[in-house]
Amino acid sequence: MEKCLIELKGIEKEFDGEQVLKGISLSIRNREFVTLLGPSGCGKTTTLRIIGGFETPTRGDVLFEGSRLNEIPPYKREINTVFQRYALFPHLDVSENIAFGLRIRKVKEAEIQKKVREMLELVGLRGFEKREVTSLSGGQQQRVAIARALVMQPRVLLLDEPLGALDLKLRKDMQLELKKIQQSTGITFIYVTHDQEEALTMSDTVVVMNHGAIQQIGSPTDIYNEPVNAFVADFIGESNIIDGVMLRDELVRFCGQDFECVDRGFGENAPVDVVIRPEDIKLVFPGDARLQGVVESIVFKGVHYEMMIRTERFTFMVHSTLAEPVGKLVGLAVVPFDIHIMHKTEAAQ
Amino acid sequence: MKKYLAYPYGVWMAVFIVAPILLVVFYAFTGKSGALTLDNFTNMAAYASIFGRSFLLAFIATVVCLLLGYPLAYIMSRQPPRWQSFYMMLIMLPMWMNFLLRTYAWMSILENNGFINQFLQNIGFIDLLNSVLQPETPIRYLPLINTGGAVVLGMVYNFLPFMVLPIYNVLIKIDVKIIEAAQDLGAPSQAVFRKVIFPLSMPGVISGITMVFVPAVSTFVISKTLGGGKEMLIGDLIDLQFMGNAYNPQLGSAIALVMMALVFLCMLVMNRFDDGSGEEGGLLL
Amino acid sequence: MKRFFQQFYLLLIFLFLYAPIFTLMLFSFNADKSRVIWQGFTLDWYVELLHDSTIIDSLYVTLVVAFASALFATIIGTAAALGIHCMGRRAKGVYLTVNSIPMSTSDTIMGVTFMLLFAMLAIDKGYLTLILAHITFSAPYVVLNVMPKLRQLDKNAYEAALDLGATPAQALHKVILPEIMPGIITGAIMAFTLSVDDFVVSYFTAGTTSQPLSVVIYSMTRRRISPKINALSTLLFLAVLILLIVINFRQSRDGRNKKHQPLKGVEN
Repeated sequence: MEKCLIELKGIEKEFDGEQVLKGISLSIRNREFVTLLGPSGCGKTTTLRIIGGFETPTRGDVLFEGSRLNEIPPYKREINTVFQRYALFPHLDVSENIAFGLRIRKVKEAEIQKKVREMLELVGLRGFEKREVTSLSGGQQQRVAIARALVMQPRVLLLDEPLGALDLKLRKDMQLELKKIQQSTGITFIYVTHDQEEALTMSDTVVVMNHGAIQQIGSPTDIYNEPVNAFVADFIGESNIIDGVMLRDELVRFCGQDFECVDRGFGENAPVDVVIRPEDIKLVFPGDARLQGVVESIVFKGVHYEMMIRTERFTFMVHSTLAEPVGKLVGLAVVPFDIHIMHKTEAAQ
Repeated sequence: MKKYLAYPYGVWMAVFIVAPILLVVFYAFTGKSGALTLDNFTNMAAYASIFGRSFLLAFIATVVCLLLGYPLAYIMSRQPPRWQSFYMMLIMLPMWMNFLLRTYAWMSILENNGFINQFLQNIGFIDLLNSVLQPETPIRYLPLINTGGAVVLGMVYNFLPFMVLPIYNVLIKIDVKIIEAAQDLGAPSQAVFRKVIFPLSMPGVISGITMVFVPAVSTFVISKTLGGGKEMLIGDLIDLQFMGNAYNPQLGSAIALVMMALVFLCMLVMNRFDDGSGEEGGLLL
Repeated sequence: MKRFFQQFYLLLIFLFLYAPIFTLMLFSFNADKSRVIWQGFTLDWYVELLHDSTIIDSLYVTLVVAFASALFATIIGTAAALGIHCMGRRAKGVYLTVNSIPMSTSDTIMGVTFMLLFAMLAIDKGYLTLILAHITFSAPYVVLNVMPKLRQLDKNAYEAALDLGATPAQALHKVILPEIMPGIITGAIMAFTLSVDDFVVSYFTAGTTSQPLSVVIYSMTRRRISPKINALSTLLFLAVLILLIVINFRQSRDGRNKKHQPLKGVEN
């Protein structure tokens, strides 16, 4: 276990009496790539701004290598930020933007030139030194913003939806590039996004947030495969969320049928949310499954077909590589391992 | 974060903007002895005709400015961009020349032996008038200066840019796509103007009207130089109470206060024509 | 055809705007005192103008007042804009409303209110009263010119500077001020020209000595009118013209730079 670099302890934040963070506790290890994931207004950006020093928590502490960071102003933190819309300084050219922090630090001119060159090399912008930042494309501005932060050799780099303004193709390329930069520099990245796919692609650890509270912390695989509640399940990928009752350990009842499952410890006759991924439902002959339904619609999604199948009590979303015609009666089969049982939460409403 | 940077200006505004206005209100309700009184207002009835004349002349000047200024702003907004800034400069240039000199320039044109009358004599127009009208004593010139018309002319000349600029600023900001959309929906160009461009330019029109009417109604320079000072306007009246022989700042304050109230009322009525959509409207210079 | 009418209309309006100015200028070279009958060319009025100590002194007063008030209005107005920008909705509303009062009140009223204020504070009319009054009516224009630049600013620019190690003072000096400089300069120029151009407020706030040019011109136009005024008008017009050409050149140069930028982006 590597040692803990940043620790948030019971962070609460109020704006005009409205509580936007309700007790965030989180520890981040050195060299880790952590993503704060959640819908807009979930408090992820506020959390990031508290770490960066742009907001002070109403209650709770921010610890950096064990020492309290709350009142330290941003310019005294070994933390740098890549802002959402880059926040490049339009009156300075590319190299002066990157050199800005070094000049504040009064680094020697030759040293500055050398570092700026290295950074431009790293982000693939060699030869752009004297260009006006306003003349750059979105992707290029993005790279300058990253270089400007990285040249400070921060211990932690905060990235606030840095790829939000880029188009899909460029976003994919930059995801890989960011991951590469993180691995080669060994800097701890804390990354904020609302794009679940981005979070799963890049992170070591994903922190799913909603309504100012952490829902789940885990590796991308854990989060996807073992969501702790219906909100996480719904937010990470698409899910069928069905009202059910846990009859006893390893037996759940939904859609008027009893199903075996693998979850335990919910007690007897407890109301729960049952989560089934669309790709985990197999379409079979009506007689071979306990659930039957009629294909209501079908949409081609590129890799697979997305079908809405109406059963007596619930309309399931199903992903399949085989198309079934609208109106056909089919059976829906799920193996016990793919039936996820979750406590009912407010967030799932 | 750094709100306090505005505090010095806040104090400044309190001392030099708010306090003086309160002072005017206070003076308006006190007599020469310093006692509270309404006499200043009751005495003002004598000046009703001056008020009427001022508002009338300012109103006419504003209407003329609008009629001249709107087409001007519209045509300018349709010119190629390079020409637009050139025309803009031409409009601004006289405005940046001293206000008094601009007005003074008109004196030599409107005088009884000024350029217009010289011209009318030379082409025989004056003679023609004499022979047609057969007045008792033959006239030698048309009375142009020292008339209400000359005052209106002076107002229009001085304040026309204030009408053109806000309207122009709003017009150039109207998205071309909106006009295209209107055309796409089948509106002929007249309808596009009536139903789209003009309503959208209302904020500019409103602020143009304000910027012409307010200085026009309170001017005293124009009435003195081009109006001959015979028939007073509110501005002259106020000037007289503060700087003139009639020195009576209490009465002057009351007159100023009533004028402000009336102007405010006019603006209120006019703002009802605006749907309030263009908050930042046609601001400013 | 439509285009012809438009051009013709523009021509008429500009004729209306400039005819008086040009006759004024023409008669500054008239050999006779008359301002309506041409008697031949002379430069005498310019010579006389330069020897008229009242006018030269008042020009000096005008420039001193304009420089001082524009400088101070620019400083206090820019600081105010920065502060207002960070304020909450309500405080911002109060500030901007009061700020708009001098712009929407007539000069006459403003002049009168200043006069009452200075009388109450027992400040003798002179340089000080002129400068205080001029700051008050020109600072709002500085505020209004700087505010949009602040709004255009990336809302994170200030934080980005702090993030990169700049103290708040450094962030202001190295990032915010350079970014809003065009607005500050426009505001300062506007404050200066408003001050030079002002007559009404100066009329109410100037003392009997050290009167600014506009007040002196006013008293001249009320008495005997000398073609010296025409000569003066000509010189002022040329000064304004040169100033405007310089500003216009500056703007079009800035504009060109902006237009070039996307092109540079395409090259690579």
